[in-house]
Amino acid sequence: MMKKIGRYLRLYRIFVVQYIKSTMQSKVDFFIGLGGFLISQGAGMVFLYLVFEQIPSMQNWNLEQMLFIYGFAQIPRGIDHLLTDNLWMVSWRMIIRGTFDKYMLRPMNLFFQIVCETVQMDAMGELLVGIVLVVRALYKGVVKITPLGVLFFVISVTAGSVIYTSVKLFFASLAFWVKDTSPFLTTAYELSDFAKYPVEIYAKPIRIVLMTVLPFAFVAYIPATYFLIDANLWRTIGAECGIALVFWFISYSLFQKGLTVYESAGN
Amino acid sequence: MSENVIELSNVKKEFVTTKHYPGFKGALKGLFSRETECKTAVDNVSFEIKRGEMVGYIGSNGAGKSTTIKIMSGILTPTAGTCLVNGIEPYYNRKINAGNIGVVFGQRTQLWWDLPLSETYTVLKEIYEVSDADYQERMAFFREVLDIDSFIHSTVRTLSLGQRMRADLAAALLHNPKVLYLDEPTIGLDIVVKDRIRQAIREINEKYETTVILTTHDLSDIEELCQRIIIIDAGKKIYDGTLTDLKNDYGRNCSISFELKELPDQAKLSNLQQTYEKFAIELQDKSLIVNFDKNDFTVADIIGAMMAHVNVTDVKIQETELTDIVKGIYRNGVGK
Amino acid sequence: MGKKIQKYFRIYWPFAANQIKTNFAYKGRFYLYMVRKFLGMFIYYYLWMAIYAGAASDTLGGFSRGEMILYVFMSYTISDLIMMGISSEIGYDVIEGNVAMNLIKPINYRTNLMFNAFGVMVYRLVMPSLFIWAALEAYKVIGLGQSISSPLRILYFLLSLFLSFLVYAFFDYCFGMLAFVTTYIFGMNIIKNAVLNFLSGRLIPMTFFPAAVQTVFEFLPFTAMTYVPVMIYLGKYSETEVIMQLGKQAFWAVALCLFGNFLWQKVQKRIVILGG
Repeated sequence: MMKKIGRYLRLYRIFVVQYIKSTMQSKVDFFIGLGGFLISQGAGMVFLYLVFEQIPSMQNWNLEQMLFIYGFAQIPRGIDHLLTDNLWMVSWRMIIRGTFDKYMLRPMNLFFQIVCETVQMDAMGELLVGIVLVVRALYKGVVKITPLGVLFFVISVTAGSVIYTSVKLFFASLAFWVKDTSPFLTTAYELSDFAKYPVEIYAKPIRIVLMTVLPFAFVAYIPATYFLIDANLWRTIGAECGIALVFWFISYSLFQKGLTVYESAGN
Repeated sequence: MSENVIELSNVKKEFVTTKHYPGFKGALKGLFSRETECKTAVDNVSFEIKRGEMVGYIGSNGAGKSTTIKIMSGILTPTAGTCLVNGIEPYYNRKINAGNIGVVFGQRTQLWWDLPLSETYTVLKEIYEVSDADYQERMAFFREVLDIDSFIHSTVRTLSLGQRMRADLAAALLHNPKVLYLDEPTIGLDIVVKDRIRQAIREINEKYETTVILTTHDLSDIEELCQRIIIIDAGKKIYDGTLTDLKNDYGRNCSISFELKELPDQAKLSNLQQTYEKFAIELQDKSLIVNFDKNDFTVADIIGAMMAHVNVTDVKIQETELTDIVKGIYRNGVGK
Repeated sequence: MGKKIQKYFRIYWPFAANQIKTNFAYKGRFYLYMVRKFLGMFIYYYLWMAIYAGAASDTLGGFSRGEMILYVFMSYTISDLIMMGISSEIGYDVIEGNVAMNLIKPINYRTNLMFNAFGVMVYRLVMPSLFIWAALEAYKVIGLGQSISSPLRILYFLLSLFLSFLVYAFFDYCFGMLAFVTTYIFGMNIIKNAVLNFLSGRLIPMTFFPAAVQTVFEFLPFTAMTYVPVMIYLGKYSETEVIMQLGKQAFWAVALCLFGNFLWQKVQKRIVILGG
């Protein structure tokens, strides 16, 4: 087992090095992508600023707390974006065009092969906004650093990223049946925008969707409240990890099932 | 040394597709209905291939060649039947199977497009866990038979089609697979490169006892490389046997062309045709062409008979080529 | 002039018609597009409702709660209606090497793109913009107790909407010329959308910005895209202001069109020299 993990880590390093070498010439693209996500996430912050010029608080959250939630939401989103961006290609064209074949011919785990093929540097824009806002919250005393807090922050961010990846993998896997699922995936992914704000503001049906079918409430808002108001530890972090595991299991099973109906191209 | 490396029994693969309707009305209709069609790409195909064999797997476009290869390489799961490669079913044991096989698709490359070729091999070495010693030994061998040294530091993107093909072949063989699938390996290549690739395949087969399955539209590949040939048409296997048998069974037709000093007039020609009504005689340009069945006459019979009647300056004997046989089989089916 | 326009339509209308057809053909895409559209609108709807709930006064930035509801849905619908992927299409054509091919055809590349976009707009106008507007009218009358929009105002609104389409299409065409400089048009589009969301008024009415910033925005073409037609619909402008704003839109449409010509000349030279 340890040997297997060692092999995959070594392979991952090799693939990432190759990927970076092959995209070296497009430094401009890197800065465009970075700038793009920086500006679009930054725009959300400016929106909050402008709004809080007019009102003192929203659903009992003040501006600083809202910014913490907003920033917290960017981190798992950014990590997933950085590591598993190639899933978009699976949902969009790999299955239709049959280019998925190449993965099937190699003696490695398929999910691993898909994921290690790209490292999406654009995600640095999201991660930067997220980290800056979380650090700012610490600095302003909105949240406090405790050893337990750091531990749960790491766990929560990991589980949040797994939830993002699971949702992406689920819709990408559907492509084995429906060929092009990028419109579905875009829809589901855009739903995660809801997660940047407190779930209480939404109507009940949307709230239920965000906590069950597409559990984006758990990637940011719910864990963030733990840090803000000392909500019940096990209810928040425990639920998040549980949901991450269940969703990962469902998505990965669907992916495995999809492989058996893969039709390649040219028929 | 005659165990079966590949065994297919009653393998069947069906594809289901959605119907599309033409035009504006069709688009509206498509909004509400979802009719499907079922197409059988491979229909109850069975065969066995022994270790070290080189087999030509041929058929017209859409006959089901690629589908069969994809089943054998673990990409597709058959609808019914079983396929065993090295004793395992590829689609249920994809990872193990992938380590046992090498695949070259003439139309696609498995090389890393944006990197120097040499890096592809170092990555593949890690993926397939090839030991340093094996790696050195095999690379030396490829350098010799495929001459990849001259472009090993070029970026894959910049390689010519012939170079890329050689590089792809080496990549597929780096882990010394027991089975090698070649899908159109010489498509679009010039004669010199074709020859080099064929020579390399032969040497690999001899040295490592690799089983080779080759699909191609260029039948000279098959003649150069394969002892055995399997023909598939509309998803069904229609021929399975040695190349010699195929030629003996279907290549009985022979044609001899006689170049004449002076052309016979119409009366003389019809006279000849009447005397020898068992063979087809016709006049083409300045030559007399005689077609006959080798089971009924020998070449000597025909030459003797003609020499007796006309003044011959030159004789050319033409046996039916593999291409014509295969064309005939595609057109008329087996047994004609 | 009239004849020339007629001729234009005869030549290029098939492109638009084709777009309408293809949009109809992909039913799944259409339903999903609706879902996404509504999701986006409702995020901001709920956000604004929460904001008004937390506010001390009934009006924020000069908008009552009811007006803000109209604003959110209207600005979102209009943005989706006029913002077509012209620059993405140019980016695609550049990567695939189709631009040089287009130089050979006896068809104006930009006009072709514009009519494609126009076709999509016509489709979206029916599916579902008109229904959303009808619902908003109903809300205005029943929910807010206001009178139904006057024919004149609807006329102004439609005129303004068409000008919005032109301003955005010409702008996006100019933006698309960047595809000849960088191949990463996806990244560029993310920047563009983020900036436009703000400057065109899609995300938040201009009145929420500090006065100085608002003055700067007055001199930029972006409010001519979404903000102006919404404000006309809401009746926030006086008769004279409406005329002035329409004039501003027309000015930007012409200016961006000319700028696009200029850029295209430059690019064309480059294509002829370097190949497309």
